[in-house]
Amino acid sequence: MSWRWMRYLLASAMLFAAGCGNNKPAAQQIDGQLRIGIAFETLQTEYWVASLDNLRNELNKRNAEIVEVVADGDANRQLEQVQSLITRHVDGIVLVPKDSRTCVPMIRAANKANIPIVLYNRGAATGAGPHVVVVADNRSITRATVSKMVEVARQRGRKLKAAILIGDLGDINAIERREGFDEIVAENPDVVEVVARIPTEWNQEKAFAGITNALQANPEIEFIFCSSDFLFPSVISALKSANRYLPVNDPNHVVLGGFDGDATAYGMLKEGYLDADGVQDVQFECQQAVDALYKMNRGETVDAVLPDPGFVIHQGNLETDAERMWGSQVGSHK
Amino acid sequence: MTRKLVAQLPFIVLLVVAFTFSLLTPKFATTANAANLLTQASSAAVLAGGMSFVLLASCIDLSVGSQMFFAAAVAGKLLLAYESVPLAIVAMPLVGVCCGAVHGLLVTWAGLAPFIATMASLFVLRGAGLWLTETRAMNLPAEFTGYADATVAGFPLPIVIACVTLLALTYLHRRTAFGRQIVAIGHDREEAYKAGINCSRTIWQVYLVSGVCCAIAGFISLTQLGTVSPSFGRDREFNAIAAAVLGGTSLSGGTGSILPGAAIGAILVTMVFNGLNLIDANPYTYPLITGTVILFAILCDAVRHRHFATR
Repeated sequence: MSWRWMRYLLASAMLFAAGCGNNKPAAQQIDGQLRIGIAFETLQTEYWVASLDNLRNELNKRNAEIVEVVADGDANRQLEQVQSLITRHVDGIVLVPKDSRTCVPMIRAANKANIPIVLYNRGAATGAGPHVVVVADNRSITRATVSKMVEVARQRGRKLKAAILIGDLGDINAIERREGFDEIVAENPDVVEVVARIPTEWNQEKAFAGITNALQANPEIEFIFCSSDFLFPSVISALKSANRYLPVNDPNHVVLGGFDGDATAYGMLKEGYLDADGVQDVQFECQQAVDALYKMNRGETVDAVLPDPGFVIHQGNLETDAERMWGSQVGSHK
Repeated sequence: MTRKLVAQLPFIVLLVVAFTFSLLTPKFATTANAANLLTQASSAAVLAGGMSFVLLASCIDLSVGSQMFFAAAVAGKLLLAYESVPLAIVAMPLVGVCCGAVHGLLVTWAGLAPFIATMASLFVLRGAGLWLTETRAMNLPAEFTGYADATVAGFPLPIVIACVTLLALTYLHRRTAFGRQIVAIGHDREEAYKAGINCSRTIWQVYLVSGVCCAIAGFISLTQLGTVSPSFGRDREFNAIAAAVLGGTSLSGGTGSILPGAAIGAILVTMVFNGLNLIDANPYTYPLITGTVILFAILCDAVRHRHFATR
C-alpha cells in the first residue's frame, strides 16, 4: 500500500475517532439547548397526532431542537430510527413503541449510549433496562368507564347482552382495557353477559365486519364497549344498518362506551349517543414525558412509571369536563 | 379424475368450512347470515378479481389496500368540500386508473420488478392519503353511505356491484384477445413476445384493471364503513392475494379464474372471520386460523402447480 493511501486511511481514522468521541451533544455544547428525538410507531390515529402536537408544544416551550421519526408500524425500522437518533447525539428520546417486546433492544441501545429514554403511552416488558414510562392507567380507566356503563344498564332492570371490540392482541394497552372490561363484567353478572368478543387488530374494517356479524348472530346485544374511540365509526355504521343507533333517552338505545377521548367520541357525547368514555389526558402525559427527560438530563432521579390517572366523561359531567377531553380541542373535517 | 378434483379444490374447501361452521352454530346457516356474508365479501371479491388479473400475468400488486385508501381519501375530501356525491363517485375510479397507469409504467417502461414497484407505492399512496386526511377520520354524509343499504331488484347493491364487476372481468379474461394475451404472458413472457404480443402494453392494461378494481372495492367498503379512516384498506393486499390463490389462481401466473375462482376465494376468507365471530371464538385463535388459511392457499397453489407441471 502506498504512503498516500496510508495517509488517507490515517486521516479517515482520526476523523472517525473524533466523531465517536464527541459523545456530548453538539447542541448542548453551544447554548444549553437540548436535542430531543421523538420516535413514533405510527401516526394513524387522531390520538397519536394529538400526542405529537402536544409533545412539540412542550418541547418548543423549552426551546428544544426536535428530531422526529415515524416507523409506520414497522418495529425493525423503529429500531434503526432509534439507533440513528443515538448516532445523532440526541439528549433524550421519547419513544412510542409498537409493543412491549420490540422496544427492549431500543431501550438497551439508548442505555448503552447513556441517553435518557421515556416510553410514551406503552410500557416495556420486564428486564428491558432503565427507562421511564408515561402511561395511562388503562385498566382502571376502563374499569371506571365500564362501571358507568353498567350503572346505565342497571336502570333497564334486566340482564343485557354485551359485545366488546378488542384491540391488537400484541398491544399491552388493548390487553389491559380488555381485562378492565372483563373484571367489571364479572363483578356484575346480574346486569351484563358478554356474548361477543371481537378482535379488531385496531382495524376499522375488521371492527365493522365483526360487529355486523355479532349483531347478526345476537340481535339482542344492547351493550357495546369499544377498546378505542377510533373504532366508533365502524360501530355507528353497523348499528345504523341494523336501525339500532339511537340516542341515550330512547328505550331501545344500545349502551355505548369507549376509550381515548377523541373527536368522534366527543361528538357522540354532545349529540347524546354515547354513554361513557375513558379519557387519556394527552396534555398531562406529554408534559410528564418532557419533564422526565429534562430532569434526567439534569441528573435528577425520576419515578420509573408516571401514571396518567385519566378520567371518565359521560352525559352527567359533559358540560363541566368537556374542556379536559382532548377530542373537544381537535378540529373535524369540514 | 385427480385433475378434476384438484381443479375443484377451492369449492370443496368452501363446502367443508361452511359445513363445519354450520355444525358449530345454528346461527351460521341462515338466509340472513348468507346475505350478510355475501355483502361483506363483495369488496374482497372485487379486489381478488383485480388481483387475479395481475397474478394471471405473472405480476403482483402489493399496493391495492393503499390504492383503496388513497381513492377513498380523494373522494372523501371532494365530498366534504363540494358536497357532491356524483363527483366523489366519479373521482374514485379515476384515481384507480391513475394509480394503475403509474404502476404499469413503473413495471413496463421503468422496468422495475412488480414486487418492488408496488411495495414502494404501498407506502407512497398511504402517506399521500394520510397527508390528505391529516390522519383524521372523515365522516361521510348519509347520501353516500346510503348506497351500502340500497338494493337492486331486491339484492343488496354491494353484491350487485361485485357480480357485475366479476362478470365483466370474466368476460375480459375468457372472451377477449386481451384475456388470452394475459394468460400467454403469464405462462411464458418470452414466448408471448415472440408470438407478437405487445407484453408491455398488456401488462400496463392489467394494472389499469387492478387500479379500477381497487377503486370499486374501496367504494363498496367506504359506503359500508361511512368514514375514511387512516387505517382504511390496511392489509387488504394479503387478503386479496390469499383469496385469489385460494380461488385457484396460480402465483406463478398463467392459470386461474375470476368466476368462480376469485369469488369463492373471497367468500372463503370472509367466511372464516364471519364463522369465528358467530361462534364467539377466543380472540387468540383468529390469527392462528387466518394464518392457516393463507398457508393452505399457498399449499394448494404448490400442489396444483406440481400436479399440472407433471402432466
